[in-house]
Amino acid sequence: MLNRLSRMRFRTKLNAGMSIIIISLSLMLAVVVTQIAANSLVHETKRRGQVLADNIALRTTSSMLSGDLLQMKEMVDELRTVDKDVAYAFLINSNSQILAHTFTNGFPIDLKHANVITDDAKPSIKLVDTGSDKFYDFAVPVTAGGLVIGQARLGLSRSQVQSVVNGLIFTISIVTGITLIISLAISTQFAHKITYRLGMLGQYAESIVRGELKLNQTSGLNRNCWEIYKCDQEDCPAYGNTEQRCWQFGETLCTNYCSNKSARDLNNCEECPVFAKNSGDEIHELAETFDVMSLSLRGHIAELEEAKNDLTQQQEILRTIFESSPDQLSLIDKNGTYISVNQAFASFVKKPKEKIVGKKEYEIQSLLNTANTLQETQQIISTSKPVNREVRIVLEDGSRKWFNVLKVPVHDEHKESIGVLGTARDITNVKDYQNQLIHSQKLESIGKLAGGVAHEINTPLGIILGYSQLLQEDFPEDEQVHKDLVIVEKQAKFCRKIVADLLNFSRQTKSEKKEMCFNNSIMEVVQLVRHAFKLDNVKIIPHLDDRLPIIYGNPEQLKQVWMNLMSNAIEAIGHNGVINIRTELDINKGTISAWFTDSGSGIATNDIDSIFDPFFSTKPVGKGTGLGLSVSFGIIKDHGGRIFAISPAPKQLLEDGATRTENWGPGTTFKVVLPLDEIGYE
Amino acid sequence: MKHQSLRVFFLAFLVCTSVLLQGCGEDVPVVKVDFSKRESVKVPVPEPAITYAYLPQYSHEVSYARHNPLIQYLTKETGLPMRQVFPDTFAEHVRMVQSGEIDISFSNPVVYVQLAQMGSTAFARIKEPDGRPTFRGQIIVHAQNKAIQTLKDVIGKRWMAVDPHSAGGYLYALGYFLDHGIHAHDFSEIAFAPGPGGKQEKAALAVYAGKCDVASVREGALDTVKDKINLQDIRVLAVTPEYPGWVYSARRGMDKEIVSKIAEAMFKLSMDNPTEAAILTNARTSGIIPATDSDYDAVRTLIQKVEADKITSTFPSIPLLPAQRVTHAK
Repeated sequence: MLNRLSRMRFRTKLNAGMSIIIISLSLMLAVVVTQIAANSLVHETKRRGQVLADNIALRTTSSMLSGDLLQMKEMVDELRTVDKDVAYAFLINSNSQILAHTFTNGFPIDLKHANVITDDAKPSIKLVDTGSDKFYDFAVPVTAGGLVIGQARLGLSRSQVQSVVNGLIFTISIVTGITLIISLAISTQFAHKITYRLGMLGQYAESIVRGELKLNQTSGLNRNCWEIYKCDQEDCPAYGNTEQRCWQFGETLCTNYCSNKSARDLNNCEECPVFAKNSGDEIHELAETFDVMSLSLRGHIAELEEAKNDLTQQQEILRTIFESSPDQLSLIDKNGTYISVNQAFASFVKKPKEKIVGKKEYEIQSLLNTANTLQETQQIISTSKPVNREVRIVLEDGSRKWFNVLKVPVHDEHKESIGVLGTARDITNVKDYQNQLIHSQKLESIGKLAGGVAHEINTPLGIILGYSQLLQEDFPEDEQVHKDLVIVEKQAKFCRKIVADLLNFSRQTKSEKKEMCFNNSIMEVVQLVRHAFKLDNVKIIPHLDDRLPIIYGNPEQLKQVWMNLMSNAIEAIGHNGVINIRTELDINKGTISAWFTDSGSGIATNDIDSIFDPFFSTKPVGKGTGLGLSVSFGIIKDHGGRIFAISPAPKQLLEDGATRTENWGPGTTFKVVLPLDEIGYE
Repeated sequence: MKHQSLRVFFLAFLVCTSVLLQGCGEDVPVVKVDFSKRESVKVPVPEPAITYAYLPQYSHEVSYARHNPLIQYLTKETGLPMRQVFPDTFAEHVRMVQSGEIDISFSNPVVYVQLAQMGSTAFARIKEPDGRPTFRGQIIVHAQNKAIQTLKDVIGKRWMAVDPHSAGGYLYALGYFLDHGIHAHDFSEIAFAPGPGGKQEKAALAVYAGKCDVASVREGALDTVKDKINLQDIRVLAVTPEYPGWVYSARRGMDKEIVSKIAEAMFKLSMDNPTEAAILTNARTSGIIPATDSDYDAVRTLIQKVEADKITSTFPSIPLLPAQRVTHAK
């Protein structure tokens, strides 16, 4: 019922409410007025009956005293002619004898004692019910000299009174009905007027909801404030504004605005002529408020649109940065759940982003995550201190990667940590460059040292070699002295070679480059060592790319490099093994490459970063100088190329055309890459 | 919450008002009467009793009020049934005495003189409230009437008297004027107070209102109008000689023993007894004393004197027409 009532239209409810009020009040008033009028009528009837009875009692005193029955009869009969309401009248003397009455067919026996006056001689009134009719019976004592000598009785027809009352009720009902109809018509019109305006306001509000904020519900200003006051203050916000009333501004420059300009009180405007000419009733004020609200909303919406555009732009920029960053970016809330990750992160963990977001940190397998990652995240959130560390990982293909992991706390507007932004940047190249820089610095320092030492030693060594050769001529070849001198010469030459290597290492010698064939330089060395290697059952398997062009380089130095690499290979193999040599032209990258892969014992993981360091050697003392790879590194670098080792060797390179032997090791691959633009590719 | 209470209170007020107004309806006790049971009414016949009548110079109610206690006293004192009857006029009173309908008549001396001619006998008379057994008439004028300073000044003026058969109100004054050489025809008009009762008052009020220039009333009558007019505006021009007061007479043929019994009872009334004093005061007397017919010879003399003045006035014999007026045109 209440729901149905609440669903009714306001106009219906207003009409119904006013109708109920009017009908209720009208009926109530009609009932009350009718009751009051009826009571007054009955009361007046009783009073009139009392007066008539008193009158007949007074008038008949003399007749009763003198026993003038005729006069008494005339008097009581006269009452019936005077007032048709008088149903009967009669006189009784003190002996209860009927002296005169108005009844024609005998006197009702019981009526005489129906209304007896008490001893105090006060008038009495009773309602006589005959069954078919009712009468108000008035009994009044007839007195003379203060003594009761009889009584006068008078009967007024109650049905006559009732008929008058009924007529009165009918009249009041007719008047009430007409008044009701007129009131309902007026109230309906009034309700229509009110609800029509409210309906207009409702439509206006709906239009505001729909975003149509340019409607103006109120009529225009009757007169503008600057016209009324002849104001020329163009800086005033109200000046020239025909959409808003001046009192709807927080402050105006009008001197008549109010005494306290900070208080916006309409009471201050009551005496203002602008307010008097333009203000209206409450609905008018409500419509004006809607107008102001519309204007305000329009301004706010414009600001919101602008802010939204800015926000969208910033979001797009941020998203682009986030997504396009090569670094792995991830945002984790305080519960350790991924909120957002970028594509680099998704690619690294090999899962689509949709399957990462919403998962816990420990649920996503990542090489960068450690056992205490969750604890680290919680620590960052609790302490608001960022974590910056470098991590080295080994990928499935055996390659190594360095990552710089940075985790910073994310704060809300209250400076409280709500999550962690994690970035993982691949710094492998930086690490490589860093190592190469360190290596170069080492080489440079050692080179300077070695160059100085070699330069000083070279001269006396030449003298020793020369004198040993001269002394050999002084002794026959079969003498022990000659043999000893040969040993001295041999060791001196060995020393000179070391000195020459040192000078090469320290760039003390001049590098002479010329046109040469890359494959030929390799094959020359292969031809030189193949036989010797064969003695140790080590097989050299060359796969040379015949597309290699003529390059510009130092063939002697490059051959030295190949010699060093193959010397290291045979030393790693020992006996029974293979050395795969592969060359390849990469036109896209503009490089030529050479892979020297052996089936040897390989290089320990801890050593692989140090093998190009000068004097680094795994060989026992006296078996190697540790300068071979360093010199090779310097020669390749002098040619603008790069050289690096891979251990264990890639299987496809190690077993390419080879047969496994008994001591088949993990092997090592040395890769030499030379840029064609540096070595005179034409 | 507050508004809810006010709404409830307002509705309760309306409902209670309606209920209370409904309750203002019939508040008269109801008596059931069967109107079908009827009887014919017989004319009540009064019980046989000694009838007592007061000369109707006042209304029946006043007569009843003044004399009913006395009658009840006499009934109780003598053991005789007594009943007051009310003739409407002097003439009817005289006629009823003559016809025997009135046994005991209480009348003024003038009427008694006429009743005596019909055989009535005086047996008692009253004393005035001041104790005198006689009373007088007064000739009054308006105090502001400068034209009447002496008795002679009434000549040519209008005279309002009480009744042609009034003793103090007319006959005594008429005799007084005659004694001073003023005849009835010397007045421009002699009018009598209209109506059956209250004539004394009407005569006094006529002077007060200027309806007449001079009026004659019974001594003591001015006290009856002291609540109606300012007595300072009334000036007593002259007072007549005293004559015997009102008289009780028995009709002709009345049992003398009964009359004697009643007279004795009357004579026993004393102002010293509070109950009897109340009866006497109510009857406007201070006592009842024996009387004889000769006590009223002075009145008879006065009547003869008036009747002897054939020139200007006549004394009408009873019965008279009501409101009789004697007018003398110039």
